[in-house]
Amino acid sequence: MNKFIPSKDITLFRSCLVSTEYPGIESSTKFVFDKLGIEYVVDRNQSCCTGLGHYYDIFDELSTVALAARNFHHAIKNGHKQFVPMCSTCYAILKNAAIMLNEKEDVRNQVNESFISNGLEDLVYTKDDIDPINNITHTVEVFFNNREKLSEFGCVDLSNLTIATHHGCHYCKVHYDDTLCGVRNPMLLDDVCSAMNASTIGYYDHKRMTCGSGFRQRYANKELSLDVTEDKFESLYENDVDLLVHMCPNCHVQFDRYQNIISKRTGHDYNFVHLNMSQLIALYMGADPYKVMGIQTHSVSVEPLLKKLKIN
Amino acid sequence: MDNKEDVTRIGVFLCQCGGNISDKVDIEKIETILMEDEKIQVVTHYENLCSIEGGKIIKEKIITENLDRVVIAACSSVTHGDTFKQYVKPLNPYLFEMPNIREQCSWVENDPDKATNKALSLIRSGVESVQYSEPLDSILGKVRHSALVVGAGISGITTALSLAKQGIKTTLVEEKPTIGGSMVQVGKVFSPAKLTEDCAMCLLNPLVNEAVENKNITILTNTVVESSKKRSGNFNVILKKHAVYVDEDKCTSCGRCSEVCPISAPDMWNEGLIQRKAIYKPFPQAVPNTYTIDEEHCIKCGKCEETCQTNAINLNAYRDMISLNVGSIVIATGHKRFDTKKRPEYGHEKYEDVITQMELARIMGVNGPTYGKLLTPSTGKIPKRIVMVQCVGSRDDKPYGHKYCSKICCMVAIKSANLIKQHYPNTEVIICYTDIRTPGMYEKYYKYGQTQGIKLIRGRPGEITKKDGHLIVRVEDTLTSERKEIETNMVVLSAAIEPSSGTVRLAKTLGVSLTEDKFIKEKHPKIKPVTTDIQGIFVCGTAQGPKDITESVIQANAVSSKIAERLNGGLEVEPFIANTNQKKCSMCLICVEQCKYNAINKEHNTIYVDPLSCTGCGACMISCPEQAISIRGQSDEKLEAKIEGILKDKKPDEKIIIAFLDDIGNISADNIGVNRISCPSSIRIIHVPYINRVKYQHVKHALTHGADGIFLGEYPDTPTHNQIRENFKNMKKQLKEDNINPDRLIIHRTFIPYFRGLSKQFEQFDEQIKQEIK
Repeated sequence: MNKFIPSKDITLFRSCLVSTEYPGIESSTKFVFDKLGIEYVVDRNQSCCTGLGHYYDIFDELSTVALAARNFHHAIKNGHKQFVPMCSTCYAILKNAAIMLNEKEDVRNQVNESFISNGLEDLVYTKDDIDPINNITHTVEVFFNNREKLSEFGCVDLSNLTIATHHGCHYCKVHYDDTLCGVRNPMLLDDVCSAMNASTIGYYDHKRMTCGSGFRQRYANKELSLDVTEDKFESLYENDVDLLVHMCPNCHVQFDRYQNIISKRTGHDYNFVHLNMSQLIALYMGADPYKVMGIQTHSVSVEPLLKKLKIN
Repeated sequence: MDNKEDVTRIGVFLCQCGGNISDKVDIEKIETILMEDEKIQVVTHYENLCSIEGGKIIKEKIITENLDRVVIAACSSVTHGDTFKQYVKPLNPYLFEMPNIREQCSWVENDPDKATNKALSLIRSGVESVQYSEPLDSILGKVRHSALVVGAGISGITTALSLAKQGIKTTLVEEKPTIGGSMVQVGKVFSPAKLTEDCAMCLLNPLVNEAVENKNITILTNTVVESSKKRSGNFNVILKKHAVYVDEDKCTSCGRCSEVCPISAPDMWNEGLIQRKAIYKPFPQAVPNTYTIDEEHCIKCGKCEETCQTNAINLNAYRDMISLNVGSIVIATGHKRFDTKKRPEYGHEKYEDVITQMELARIMGVNGPTYGKLLTPSTGKIPKRIVMVQCVGSRDDKPYGHKYCSKICCMVAIKSANLIKQHYPNTEVIICYTDIRTPGMYEKYYKYGQTQGIKLIRGRPGEITKKDGHLIVRVEDTLTSERKEIETNMVVLSAAIEPSSGTVRLAKTLGVSLTEDKFIKEKHPKIKPVTTDIQGIFVCGTAQGPKDITESVIQANAVSSKIAERLNGGLEVEPFIANTNQKKCSMCLICVEQCKYNAINKEHNTIYVDPLSCTGCGACMISCPEQAISIRGQSDEKLEAKIEGILKDKKPDEKIIIAFLDDIGNISADNIGVNRISCPSSIRIIHVPYINRVKYQHVKHALTHGADGIFLGEYPDTPTHNQIRENFKNMKKQLKEDNINPDRLIIHRTFIPYFRGLSKQFEQFDEQIKQEIK
């Protein structure tokens, strides 16, 4: 697939779930980007992508698109129009918004009119200001693009771990044609892992399955939501994995925060932990587990994994 | 050619059409006005010019008045054009013009003054343009009594046999080492009428033998089409035959070579379920009946060569190039099956007991790896349960899937299920389907399957996995909304039908268009089946789209009768074809690229237009940067004269819209008259073969010489549609640059039955122009 992956002019797009649940994902990403020499900024003017609100039906589509247009404006003004979100929902939502702003004239006009009527003329979006394919990239895609450089900075042997990957819906199933390394058997995380000499189990039962969160489903249809998560846990249990690697903080929440609850449901002791791809790379590069990886915010203790890797 | 150098002697004949015309049009008045034109030698009228008597009058006048051009103002040329072509016979039949003053004038005009006025301008148009008519001969072509059939499956073999039986020399080319295609692999075929399964090989073998025996058929295996050039309706083809290491005439099929061969490779005739040697015979009944060497795996160790007692093996053999000249080409290159790797959730690669329908057919085949015994690959035991998964890659919107239905898979699954039920009644068969599609008689076979005990679940499985030594199929029964996990011993995937790589490659070599799904595109899916965009190239079987054996055979026979038509009817085509001026030509080859009909080729250092392939569509003429191309009999000057004729007697307060209509648009306009629907008085129709014929110079000339508006009526379903629309946009741009209101030019789609729409468009445009003039 022809898709531009940036190494500079990056706006590292912050995520509400990363900041509030697992801030270690952001510090790990910055840690890894700095090692790899990737040029990025974090824009203080950035607002939420609306993803959570959008999928809870709190935000309508037009507000989502308008906020995206606003974020696009700030990035362009800042000279960093390469959006690199850490969250797959931000990734998918921003792409959708860019497509809509480029292709739907009436939506664009409506958004621009609302800017103008509120004295925000500079926010006006012009068609093709942002290219949804080449200007919006997931952090893991940036890691993937630099995978050959990772081992230069590697100082922890991950080869003894049994690793499974969870790619999630919003990276794989919203923009099929932009997805790297497969959709039906997604291999993006697996490929980054193997670049660190950490082998994954590859395809496993329920690999493509949703994490189960389903945004409001987690609260409105809790049993159904957990049924789905349980299926995946059971498969990971059967495969006796040590670690599940994530690329979306919302999936991360569903697995990490609910592991104990599901363990009670099934009576199985799950001995695996959850790390975002950025955290795993940071770990591999010798980052501090607490100060950089932020494992103290995890519900499932990461310490046993560190012990297995002989890290104090 | 400038015909005006000679003094033209034009005769004008006005038909009253038994009052159809003369009730509205004042014939005498027109006669009087026309007589003032010195180019016109004689003007006469008759009650029915199309009658035999009318023909006599025309002929006589041509001879006695020494006429060299004729204008016959009467009905539509569609009605009597051919009649008058005969009546002007002392002259070349292309030296007359036929203004339509009935359908497009007297039948749509109620006011006699306006009708007369319109008739006069249409006749003037004929008079002015006929001076530029050139004597032409229709083009006769001869198609060679030979054909090339590419692909020797059931479709190719059937076509070749039918052609050969008609005395046509046929070369049947097959890429693989044996002929027979997929049909030899499937083992059994279904017979919906008898509710039985028949032996495929027993049906196919007699045809194969017949093809081998037929003197008119040359079979070339291991051969592909390298290149093809069209010339005068025929094709110069070059074939590439891969090296033949085993001499067919010397090989006795003793098999000693295979015994000593040290190399094993997957036996693809058995879907890779077992291994065979690098020198092998694909299957016992293979034709040609000889061993063959698999170039990919052979290490050329020479052991087989040493062992062979008849010296049939030559490992130093080299490929061969064969040149052919044939009158027709048939694409029968078949299909391939969807790559199940693209659906990793079904575990075809991962689990030995997940197989495809074709693998199942091989397992059930008496000449297959288990000699016909249904055994689970991993255990060697008879399965207790088999789940079949339909629509693997078909009716699938997800990445790499096909949106179309593969058409045969329902019947294939039911056939294998029925076979299993007959021989292993204790084995349970469950088919997970999206919809069961068994139209016509096939429905009976489906019902019969249900009485045999086949179970059906409507739902597309999401995932196949393995637990405790069993395969698990996860599926939602969408009729009951129940989620199911079915434990099973075997899973059979019904993989979609896709165009074979040979099909796509050959289309490129021959310049034949493909559909969006990469099957061979037919010229018209309804009324021109099996013909392609290129005259003389035909398609049959699964190269054209998913279909079963019955349909493939029907198509194969249709191809053969289409080829017979070409041969027996000869080729006579209108002479309105592209003509290149070699002096102006810069050999940029843009015309070669533009031609959608493969009619233009570069030959040596000139451009050659194949008269039998050219349709005169004008795509090359429009795109030629040197203006070196014209269409014979339809010069720019002639079209300009037509425009001038129409505008000649324009009154100061009169409004004239020139409507250039293509063949379809012209018939549609005739229908306005036939149905007596209104058509504004301003409309003057000029019939052009293709809208491309109208260049910007014509539009500009008309708009600056009195025309108030220009209407282009285009039938959109032609290969040049996009180009026409592009040109239209450019014309608008040029009008703007020339300070002419671009709204005075419009284009509309025309369709024969949609004459009311055309009438409405005329009226709207007429109204628009009226507003603008105000």
